[in-house]
Amino acid sequence: MKKYLIIIQKSLKSESAYHSAAITGMTSSLLTYLIQIFLWHALLGAGTQNHTNFSEMLIYVLVNTVMIELTKGNVANMIEASMIDGSISVELLRPISYKLFTLANLFGKNVYNAVIRALPIITISFFLIQFNSLPDLTHLALFIMSASLGIMLMFEITYFVGLFAFWIQRCWFLSWYLSGFLIFFGGTKIPIWFYPKSLAQLSYLLPFRYITFEPINFFLCKTTVEDAFWPLFIAIFWLALLCIFDRFVWRFALKKLCINGG
Amino acid sequence: MAKRTFLLVKSFMVIAFKRETAYRATFLSGIIGQWISYGATFISLYILATNFGQVDGWNGSEIMVLYSMSLLSYSIGGIFLFNFSTGLSRRIRSGEFDDSLTKPIPPLAHAILSSGFNVCYISHISISIMVFVFSLISLNYSMSFVNCVFIIFAILSGAMIQAAAFIASSTMAFFTVGNNPLIDFIMYDVKEFTNYPLGIFPKGIQYILTFILPFAMMNFYPASTLLNKSLPEGFPTFLPYLSPIIGLIALSLSVFLWNWGLSHYKSTGS
Repeated sequence: MKKYLIIIQKSLKSESAYHSAAITGMTSSLLTYLIQIFLWHALLGAGTQNHTNFSEMLIYVLVNTVMIELTKGNVANMIEASMIDGSISVELLRPISYKLFTLANLFGKNVYNAVIRALPIITISFFLIQFNSLPDLTHLALFIMSASLGIMLMFEITYFVGLFAFWIQRCWFLSWYLSGFLIFFGGTKIPIWFYPKSLAQLSYLLPFRYITFEPINFFLCKTTVEDAFWPLFIAIFWLALLCIFDRFVWRFALKKLCINGG
Repeated sequence: MAKRTFLLVKSFMVIAFKRETAYRATFLSGIIGQWISYGATFISLYILATNFGQVDGWNGSEIMVLYSMSLLSYSIGGIFLFNFSTGLSRRIRSGEFDDSLTKPIPPLAHAILSSGFNVCYISHISISIMVFVFSLISLNYSMSFVNCVFIIFAILSGAMIQAAAFIASSTMAFFTVGNNPLIDFIMYDVKEFTNYPLGIFPKGIQYILTFILPFAMMNFYPASTLLNKSLPEGFPTFLPYLSPIIGLIALSLSVFLWNWGLSHYKSTGS
C-alpha cells in the first residue's frame, strides 16, 4: 500500500510544478461555475423546481465539478502511448500491479487539479449557499462513503474501458463514449431529478448514476437514512463486478500484447 | 493563381482524409462516439429547457437551434484549424514549424495546410445539422429563400469568428514554449456561454460577448432574428446583420495578431 501512496505523492508533486496551469485551471473553473450560477439563477431565482432551489443546485454543480476533476483520466490513451513507445514492457516488469500503478498516478495528478479548481468556487459558494442546504452529520458521513465509492467506481470504469486499448490500438474515441454516457446516465450536466420518468429509470440499470449523482443526493439529504442501503450496495456491486471482469480482460490482454521494440 | 491555390488545398485535404480513414474502424467508432457525447449534451439541454418550460423565453427547440448553430460553426472552423491550433506548440518545440518559414507561401497558410485537416468534425457537423433541421421543423418554422440565405451567411460568419478564435489563441504558442492553455480557455470555457441565451447573463458579460470576444454574434444574434426573439435591452436590432462584417474583422485581426506573434518568434533550434 505504501508504494502506491508514494506514487500518488510523486505524481501530485510533478503536476504542481506548472504554475501557469494552476492559474488557468482556477480561471477556467471560476468561469464555468459563473455560467452555471447565472443559468440557475435565471431558471430558479428564489423559487424551487422538483423540490430543488438555487442554493442546492450550486452544491450540485460544486460537488460534480470536484468529483469529476478527481476521477478524470484517460487510461486508454496512457496504454496506447506506452504501447507505441514500448515503455509498457518496463511498466509490466515492475513488481507492482499495473492497475494500481496507473490509477495511483492519475489520482495524484487529479488531487492537485481538484484542489486548484475547487478553491475559487468554494470561496464564491460561501456567499451564495444557504446554511440549511448543508447536510447533518449522518448524511455527511453517508455522503463521504458514497462519494468514495463513486470515485473508485469511476476509476474502475475508466480502467476497464482503457483496457480495450490493447485490442484497438488507436483509441482516442473511447473517452467520447464514456463522457457521453456519464453526462446522460450519470446526470453530471443536468440532475436526474429533472429527467422524464422513463429516462430516469433507465439510469438505474447502469453504474453511472452512482458516481456523482447518488453521493449528491446524500449531501442534499434527498436520500433518507432508511433508504441509504441500496445506493451504497449497488455501487459496491458494480465495483466488484467490474473488478472481476477487468481481471479476465487483463489476462487476455497480456496474451494479445505485442510490443514492437520501442 | 487561384487555380494553383485550389489544387494545393485539395491535395492537402486528400492526404488528411486518407490519413484519418486509414484506420477505418477507429474513424467510424470515433464518429459514433462523438455523436453519443454531443447527443448527450443536446438531450440534457433539451430536458432542462422543457422541464422549466423556457430559459429566458427560449423553449427547448429554440435552445437546440441556438446550440446547434454554435456547434456547426465551431466544427467548420475546427475542420481546418483544430490540428493547426492545438498542434502549434508541439511543432514549435520539435522544430517542425521552421519548415513553414521556408516555403514559397505565407507561413500561416503553410502551417495550416501542413497540420492536416481534422476530418472527424464530420460527426459534429452531421449531428448539428440534424438537430438544427429537426428543431426548426418542430417549431413549424416557415422557411423562405431570404431565411435560407440568412442562415448560410450566419453559419459562415460564425465559422469565421471561430476560425479567428483558433488562430488568435494559437498565437500564444510563440511566447510560451510549453503547452498553450489559452486555446482550451477560449474554445471551451468562454464558448460555453453561447450554449444559453445571452439574456441570462449580466450586462457586462453581454457586452464582452458582443463586442470584445464576439461569440454571441456567432449564434445568439442570428438565432434571435431567425426565431423573432427580442434582443436583450440596450442592443440595437440591426446587430444580427453585422455578423458577416464582425466575422471578417475578427478573422483579419487574428491573422494580423498571428503574424505579429511570428515576428517575435525565436526558433527553439531543435
